Amino acid sequence: MKNNLKVERAIHNLTQEELAQKVSVSRQTIHAIETNKYVPSTILSLKIAQIFSKPLEQIFTLEEAD
Amino acid sequence: MSQKMLLPNGFKKIGWFFLVPSAVLGFIRMISDLEQRLSLKTKVFALYNGEFLSSEKQFGVINTDITNTVIGTVFILGALMIGFSKEKKEDEFIAKLRLSSLLWAVWVNYILLLLAFIFIYGTGFLSVMIYNMFTVMIIFIGRFNFILFKYKMSTPNEK
Repeated sequence: MKNNLKVERAIHNLTQEELAQKVSVSRQTIHAIETNKYVPSTILSLKIAQIFSKPLEQIFTLEEAD
Repeated sequence: MSQKMLLPNGFKKIGWFFLVPSAVLGFIRMISDLEQRLSLKTKVFALYNGEFLSSEKQFGVINTDITNTVIGTVFILGALMIGFSKEKKEDEFIAKLRLSSLLWAVWVNYILLLLAFIFIYGTGFLSVMIYNMFTVMIIFIGRFNFILFKYKMSTPNEK
């Protein structure tokens, strides 16, 4: 699964730490998602989408391998 | 998301106070012959007691050395508190790291045990059995903390 979390963060002018606090996870978790080391749960994905006020599919997209 | 079956974060510190002294004492006891000097003989309740060349006993009070019992109990309690307490910032990613570390630890533990089964015989295997009572938790704690540390290190500072 790909994501454009980094881009969305830049648009909303949020640091990893700020986003992490908004969705109550650690900064490592945000970093791991951005570097494609971790696929977030549906709950966390929905929370992130809510912060960016965008539908889920515009932030997270499936890859060939999925 | 709430994490079930984990202790509050504060238990982690208490766990280390349990684990370190009992591990040191236990290890010293294993490698040296402190058995005679360090003994805590007392009456305890036993569900079962079977001794070499004597009759077995069920559901009775026996008089025995409980040093190993105390060391082992304190060690296990400490290991459980360290391994299964929440992190300061517990979240789903950490939960996933914890579970995958546990899987890794069980794999490694049983591969080591299998090798010991095949290659170690006689009284040496008795030591293997004693160590093996504690190795799953030791390997798990080591692996989990190593992975956590690795992720902490690989997360660059912002700005």
